[in-house]
Amino acid sequence: MRACSLKQKAWSPYLAGIIIGLLQVPAFLLISTALGASSSYVTVGGYIASLFDPSIVEIDYVAKHVAATGKNWWQVALVAGVAIGAFISMKLSGAKRKAVSPIWSRALGTSSRPVRYAVAFGAGFLMLFGARVADGCTSGHGLSGMAQMAVSSTIAVAFMFVGGIATAFLVLRRI
Amino acid sequence: MSVFPAVLIGLAMGIVFGFAFEKARVFEPGMIVGQMQFRNFTMLKVFLTAVATGAVVLAVLHGFGLIKLSPKPTFYAADVLGGLALGAGITLAGACPGTILAQIGAGYRDALFTLLGGLAGAVAFSYADPMLTPLLFTGGPGKITFMDLTGVSYTVLAIGLAVVLAVVLVLLERWRPWRADLGADVDGDFGAADTTTAANVTRLKAAE
Repeated sequence: MRACSLKQKAWSPYLAGIIIGLLQVPAFLLISTALGASSSYVTVGGYIASLFDPSIVEIDYVAKHVAATGKNWWQVALVAGVAIGAFISMKLSGAKRKAVSPIWSRALGTSSRPVRYAVAFGAGFLMLFGARVADGCTSGHGLSGMAQMAVSSTIAVAFMFVGGIATAFLVLRRI
Repeated sequence: MSVFPAVLIGLAMGIVFGFAFEKARVFEPGMIVGQMQFRNFTMLKVFLTAVATGAVVLAVLHGFGLIKLSPKPTFYAADVLGGLALGAGITLAGACPGTILAQIGAGYRDALFTLLGGLAGAVAFSYADPMLTPLLFTGGPGKITFMDLTGVSYTVLAIGLAVVLAVVLVLLERWRPWRADLGADVDGDFGAADTTTAANVTRLKAAE
């Protein structure tokens, strides 16, 4: 089988990394921005929240993110596209996933679905709250900021790994 | 750019992004938790390769004067505290904000809860932003880069970074070939081996 057939379940991480890095070209040339993902959560979350609490758009931060600009909604489309791309790739290779990864029963010490779902919700909350405090995530700070030699991104990514590693050893069990 | 063409471009780029996440298996919780526990290096390989590639293409585009760099401003406390919370969340989710969507696309149901939690976290931050601004997002040295700190040009630093990362990746691959980190179901799960053995033992006992 060829090294990177579309039906293959796994490609070399280096090939995938090069493809992801090359996505900076259309991001910078067409949208005048860098790859990022976490702002889109403010755009979508802020939009949904505004249906229940219209006054949320009076917060400058929300107004800036839900505004009908190409950059805001480009990133929402980008993360929606990620789900579509992963779905297509999974269908082509047949690497269907179970509802919950088998590692969680060991990492969490329980195979309870509700426990995993609750941890996932809390993890998502912490992740995006942290990403917004730091002003970027693995994409915006990690991929884009480090490639641009930004000091802020280097600090954020270093502490992202510190937080991630500490949590993996102190909170989770060894997988 | 107006919204409609930007959305089409975003969708097209996202499909490629998601395809790469899925083929690299870097969206797997087993790869993320495994990386943070130093037993799987797939995440680091994809991440560092993407940073190195990005640095090279941005150095070229910047060199030809086609783009303007947009580094984020530095606020030390925010970068440290935000980074810590982001990292803790990534480990407990087994995903980062971008790969949550890849998990949903590939069929992981818990990722829907991660997504909801993420939206709630972003909204909570939005409400807190006016209070956090004077504490965390004030002062600071601004949008500083390593060009400002060293006086070296972006082209030299970016290409230098890419070369260093390439050497690191070659050594990493020599020490730990990427296929060794996949696991039987390409999800970075190696615990199933014990279960299989236990099941076989049970089966053998039943046969006796």
